[in-house]
Amino acid sequence: MVSMQTAIQIQNVSFAYGAKQVLHDVCMDIPARQVTAYIGPSGCGKSTLLRCFNRINDRISGAHLTAGSIRIHDVDINRADIDLQELRRRVGMVFQKYNPFAKSIYENVAFSLRVAGKTKRADLDDIVEDALKNAALWDEVKDRLHSSAFGLSGGQQQRLCIARAIANQPEILLMDEPCAALDPLATLKIEELISELKKQYTIIIVTHNMAQATRCSDLTAFMYLGKLVEFGPTMQIFENPKDPQTEAYVTGTFG
Amino acid sequence: MGIVGTSAVLIFLSDRQSHPTKHLAEMPHEDPHPPEPVHRFQKQGFSYENAIKFFFASNAGLTIVILALIIIFLLKEGLGFFPGYQRELEVYRIAGLEFVDISRKNLTAHEQITSVLNRTYYAEINGKCAHQMRRSQEASALFNAYSDLTAPTRDLIVSNSQPDSSPSPEMIASLRTNFEKQKSKALATLPPTPHLTPEERQALIESIRSRAFDATDDPPLVASLTTEFAEAREKQVKPLEALRTTIDTFESAGSELSSLVSELTESVTATKEKIQDADILEKDRKTLLAAASSAEDPIEREKLVSEAQASLAQKPDIEGPIRILMERRPACIAAHQSLKNAAATVSSQLPNTLTQPEASRLLKVAHNLWPLFLADLEKTPQKITDWNHLKPVALSTAISSFITGKDWVTGGEWQDFYGILPLAAGSLMISIVALTLAIPSGIGAAIYVNQFASKREQSLIKPVIEFIQAIPSVVLGFIGILIFGTILRDLSLMDSLSWIPGFPIEERLNIFTAGCLLALMSIPTIFSLAEDAINNVPSAYAEAAEALGASRVQTTFRVIIPAAFSGILAAVLLGFGRVIGETMVVLLVAGNRIKIPDFTSGLGTFFQPCHTLTGIIAQELGEVPLGSVHYRALFIVGILLFAVVLIINATAHRFVNRMKQ
Repeated sequence: MVSMQTAIQIQNVSFAYGAKQVLHDVCMDIPARQVTAYIGPSGCGKSTLLRCFNRINDRISGAHLTAGSIRIHDVDINRADIDLQELRRRVGMVFQKYNPFAKSIYENVAFSLRVAGKTKRADLDDIVEDALKNAALWDEVKDRLHSSAFGLSGGQQQRLCIARAIANQPEILLMDEPCAALDPLATLKIEELISELKKQYTIIIVTHNMAQATRCSDLTAFMYLGKLVEFGPTMQIFENPKDPQTEAYVTGTFG
Repeated sequence: MGIVGTSAVLIFLSDRQSHPTKHLAEMPHEDPHPPEPVHRFQKQGFSYENAIKFFFASNAGLTIVILALIIIFLLKEGLGFFPGYQRELEVYRIAGLEFVDISRKNLTAHEQITSVLNRTYYAEINGKCAHQMRRSQEASALFNAYSDLTAPTRDLIVSNSQPDSSPSPEMIASLRTNFEKQKSKALATLPPTPHLTPEERQALIESIRSRAFDATDDPPLVASLTTEFAEAREKQVKPLEALRTTIDTFESAGSELSSLVSELTESVTATKEKIQDADILEKDRKTLLAAASSAEDPIEREKLVSEAQASLAQKPDIEGPIRILMERRPACIAAHQSLKNAAATVSSQLPNTLTQPEASRLLKVAHNLWPLFLADLEKTPQKITDWNHLKPVALSTAISSFITGKDWVTGGEWQDFYGILPLAAGSLMISIVALTLAIPSGIGAAIYVNQFASKREQSLIKPVIEFIQAIPSVVLGFIGILIFGTILRDLSLMDSLSWIPGFPIEERLNIFTAGCLLALMSIPTIFSLAEDAINNVPSAYAEAAEALGASRVQTTFRVIIPAAFSGILAAVLLGFGRVIGETMVVLLVAGNRIKIPDFTSGLGTFFQPCHTLTGIIAQELGEVPLGSVHYRALFIVGILLFAVVLIINATAHRFVNRMKQ
């Protein structure tokens, strides 16, 4: 595990929304082609950290890195000359609440390709099919690709969002509590999908559900009050935590 | 049931738990009237909260009642229009006005073509002498600008230096200095003369400067340019002599029909007046009889009935005048025949094109009018023979002539027509201009403010646009007349802009000026509602799009605008409702000419004046006699407007609902 390739290097990152400091000096290396889970109580900064990896936090005015750097492929992604669109093509994201566009299923998946300038119909057809297959949705929607995405069930819509995120072949897939709005059955499907997808993608998942972290992640990071408390293999975090705070959290004493 | 009763119930309730059966048995014994079954959570009395609720409910109800009253009132006043109009059309027919109108229509067409041909002729001549004309005009304008400023002082001096007046030398001297001052001031502010050479201009200014104090003749250059222009015209008249003769022949061909029409007009107008007088007497009689039947006092009733009998009108003689009219039929047909022959020959004699573009355009208009004119003349004899004054006028005729009528003529001596088309066309044309301008700018501003503007820009732009809404429309209308109308017309007189269709503008107040102002008024509506619609698109859409690598522009146009589309459409519709319902601005700025715009001038149509559905009500309602057909016609127009705006709003509402889903 030591020899594993690093996907994201997080070096002494501190982050603030305006004057409100939310991350304090976070350091960690996220390995490639593994599932890394962030756990911690609400407001501990795990989502904020995740949203730093594709700089979607830039949408919020006043949000900024106060110290440290985040490096992907050894490039500091907060440099001024970063092409944000290219960064986000390399780092895909799935949100807590499924949010397909008011378009057809097909157009939802093809969106990232169209905005990247790929418009050749035959190529798009293939890519959309692959993406839907990888998101384990193809068989359910292949007969109604051109009907509205809103006709799908919640779990299907979330898988559509995953298909949409992977259509552009990103290297890293960020998932911000992807199952929070889903029922247990749909959650199970997404979890199966995650273990399937980690063969191709580096997956970083934020979750409130500790069982989910144990079920589908290889590594787990526990955050508390904007600080990284402990980071290690999932088994170790849950069975043999080194930090008393981690232990208290995973055993349910607080949080 | 008071406090005592309530506490009794409470005791009863609390006791029931311990000894239910006992108390149930005792209750009837204590009270011969058993209380209503009351439970633990029973509501008591009329609460304060209910009062508040009723207050607001009554307010809401009141608006519905008022709306219903408005609709009832409009219908009550308006629906009487159609029977009234039917009777007017009936009189129009019985009196023979309709018969005369058959010929009159052709006469009008003839006059119209003559006028177009005359305009063609002068456009050709003036176009060829355009250079001389402009030079002459510019020189005169320059001299006039000078004279206008200096003339008052000059006249004062001249009148004071008459031999019989004995002014003080000081006064004359001071007047002189004054004059010199004004002279130099006038010479410093002369208008531009782009078509004169600098030398000519200099010479002209010099001649004005050194002009004798009491000179009355024009400066040499002005005079020579006037002669030059007159000579140029003279030279151009020669080759066009043939055209002139053709036009004159055509013009005189209508004289026979014209005198016939004016002869007939006199007789039918007299008949019409008699019928109308009889109608009024008949109406009075009916009113009196109705009053008599409801009067209780027998003497009073007697009096009313006798009055009614006195009011009994003699049935006017219709057949006599009609017979005279019918006797003129052959003459009428003959006059048409000769006009037709003349028209056919003239048409073949006209040239196909002329050298000046404006003249060629007008000539083309005339050529286009010709086939229609000839076809109408062809049909006329048959129409004249077939015409029958006893043919009944159906109610549906009144309705259809209202909806499809091309004339709105009121208060005339001849015949009133209530055709909605000119007004509807005016409203529609103004709306087209207004929306063409307001939709792009309103929606564009909404997109910019919501998606791209910084917080500071937002806080600047939004209040400014919404402030436009606060300007009273009458103020806006007056700004429109004074500034916009004048500036636009002056701009249209510039040579470099003459390629724009419709330029130079003939009327300062026209569809375009009204449309521009209404655009200004509807931009806030469209902007605010479109901005709301865009703002209501969930931010998750934008976030997802950006996370997928879309730029801000791509996110806006591929995700947010499509999602807000229904709402934006609703904004446009409500803007349209605002435009079509606006009154003050159109009344002030649209030019108020009741005529279907002349669509032959292409885009230039938009620079013609027009009248609107709203404007006509505002303008005429104050002047019409209460209850007259004209009065009711205005109500029908009001009903129509109401219906249109209602439909627009309902449709917009549907779009908004669709977006919410």
